[in-house]
Amino acid sequence: MENLISIFVNSVFVGNILLAYFLGMCSFLAVSKNLKTSLGLGIAVVFVLTITSPANWLIYHYLLAPGALAWAGLPGMDLSFLKLILFIAVIAGIVQMVEMVIDRYSQALYNALGVFLPLITVNCAVLGVSLFMVERSYTLSETVVYGMGSGIGWLLAIVSMATIKMKLRYADIPEGLQGFGINMITTGLMAMAFMLFSGITL
Amino acid sequence: MSDSVKTILFATVLCLVCSLLLTTAATGLKVYQRENALVDRQKNILKAVGAVDPAQRYSGDAIKSLYRDHIKCVSVDEKGEVLSADTRAQQTIPLYLYLEGDQTQAYILPVNSRGLWGRIYGYLALETDGSTIAGFSVYKHSETPGLGGEIENQWFERNFVGKRIVDAQGDFVSIKIAKGAVADAVRKDLQPNYVDGISGATMTGKFLTQGLKDVLQTYEPVSIHFRNQGMLKIPEKALVCQPPS
Amino acid sequence: MSTAVVKITRSETYRTVTDALWQNNPISKQVLGICSSLAVTVQMNTAIVMALALTFVVATSNLIISLLRTSIPRNIRIIVEVAVIATLVIIADEVLKAFMYEISKQLSVFVGLIITNCIVMGRAETFAMSNPPGKSFVDGMANGIGYGSILVGVSFFREFLGAGKILGHQVVPRLAYDWGYMDMGLMLLAPGAFIVIGLFVWLEHTLLKKWH
Repeated sequence: MENLISIFVNSVFVGNILLAYFLGMCSFLAVSKNLKTSLGLGIAVVFVLTITSPANWLIYHYLLAPGALAWAGLPGMDLSFLKLILFIAVIAGIVQMVEMVIDRYSQALYNALGVFLPLITVNCAVLGVSLFMVERSYTLSETVVYGMGSGIGWLLAIVSMATIKMKLRYADIPEGLQGFGINMITTGLMAMAFMLFSGITL
Repeated sequence: MSDSVKTILFATVLCLVCSLLLTTAATGLKVYQRENALVDRQKNILKAVGAVDPAQRYSGDAIKSLYRDHIKCVSVDEKGEVLSADTRAQQTIPLYLYLEGDQTQAYILPVNSRGLWGRIYGYLALETDGSTIAGFSVYKHSETPGLGGEIENQWFERNFVGKRIVDAQGDFVSIKIAKGAVADAVRKDLQPNYVDGISGATMTGKFLTQGLKDVLQTYEPVSIHFRNQGMLKIPEKALVCQPPS
Repeated sequence: MSTAVVKITRSETYRTVTDALWQNNPISKQVLGICSSLAVTVQMNTAIVMALALTFVVATSNLIISLLRTSIPRNIRIIVEVAVIATLVIIADEVLKAFMYEISKQLSVFVGLIITNCIVMGRAETFAMSNPPGKSFVDGMANGIGYGSILVGVSFFREFLGAGKILGHQVVPRLAYDWGYMDMGLMLLAPGAFIVIGLFVWLEHTLLKKWH
């Protein structure tokens, strides 16, 4: 239990999937112009991550890992080289389903998020979490906690960025630095701030 | 031909071509990948004892021949005795011995510790006095780069050389990672049992300390043999070890 | 001689390449592909290998998709693109694990993440689907080189300032350390990467404004 809490807290703060591992930046930069859409997208990412990570865990451990196909009578098979393709297919499928569910139950949210939902499919953070889960040999419960924690960390980062950008509109930024440049530097300062949490012991 | 049939046909052909390409690549390259993993493992065992210079590049064959000439992997039981090939013992653990000719110069333990993000894998080498550390090397971890990830760097690993796993009275205390520099954080008489910690990676240090303690505890019977006799009796036909996965 | 130079600078290939390097540099102007790039910029050698891997994937996927562009059914267009890109990335990953084991250990999951790298999908969708194979291949190579130039540039500063090394070789002399010089540890951590690339792009934008 303590292990799960430690993984959760670490993936939200110190090992923030965006501020420490650089994943999920494309949508982060594009969507953080507006606070409401950032919040919406962030929540969608949390949702997608919490579902896709365990789904990919199951696929990896019962289909792809060396010896995984023992239940089908093929213990010698090692299909782990297919994980990239299968993970992305699973993610695309789940995102499609999330889109259909949102469309059915909340037109307003669907209109707000619109084009961003398919973006979650190619969001490196989602694929990255699944790949890290394999690399670190997590159990199923650790994977769920890691997925949710990473999603919440990403949500925190994008919402913070949106609010900072609102403040930056009143700042006098040199021309060359406007846009990408200042966004990167801001993200760097946020990353430094999040690193403060490495001093906390649980 | 209707649109949907064309689509299905295209998709099927694409799937077949991709699968063919991928399977050929993966199976064809597997030989090289396995070889690389093996050489990497051997290199790290040699690195733990200081038989290879971490700054130098070695060819795969050089590593393999060094390993063949100097490293012997045996199985030991709970009493720390090396088993011979005819015995059929239940619980055996692998032990690596570093040999110069016939003389054992050091023994190496496989480390599998919990880390902050995932497991930490490495090797810890001890001198034949059973109390002094000869070297430490990490070959796989998932720690945060720049923070906990420093455990794979030379400066951290070099600090282990010469440290002791027993205290002044000769009792087992294991090796610990201090919070900060040993010179500042630890009492003078306890300093031989501590190595410098990594700033910003206290948790990694804590987990690794526990992991090293666990492995040293498991191999204490072997260490006791070395402390008392300065050597380990190896039977004529020693049971070759099961390397850790 | 000068006519030859003029001829080269006027040629389409030259313009495609410089376009990708300068005006439309994928990372700064199109803000693409930074996802996986920054994590491998701690050292120059990993950055170079990553850039080569991505260039291989973009160029080859552009070529293949351009060759297939007339036969791909409209409704599975994106899926076909993803399938081609994923296959190429897996091949690149397996080859690296077989022949450059040390570096592939350091690159870990980030080679696999080339699949989600916006540059690759972006070029396939916007260029390869509507241009002949030869041009698409060149465009892919050029974009890869543009991406690589920023990656290697950032990694140069991070490695030099953060560890005093270039390509793994100690460049800052022992003497400097004895006199009190200390490596900027922040450069080796995440914030360092963000700040370096922000400043880098600032420099590039300002220079572009000056020269045009």
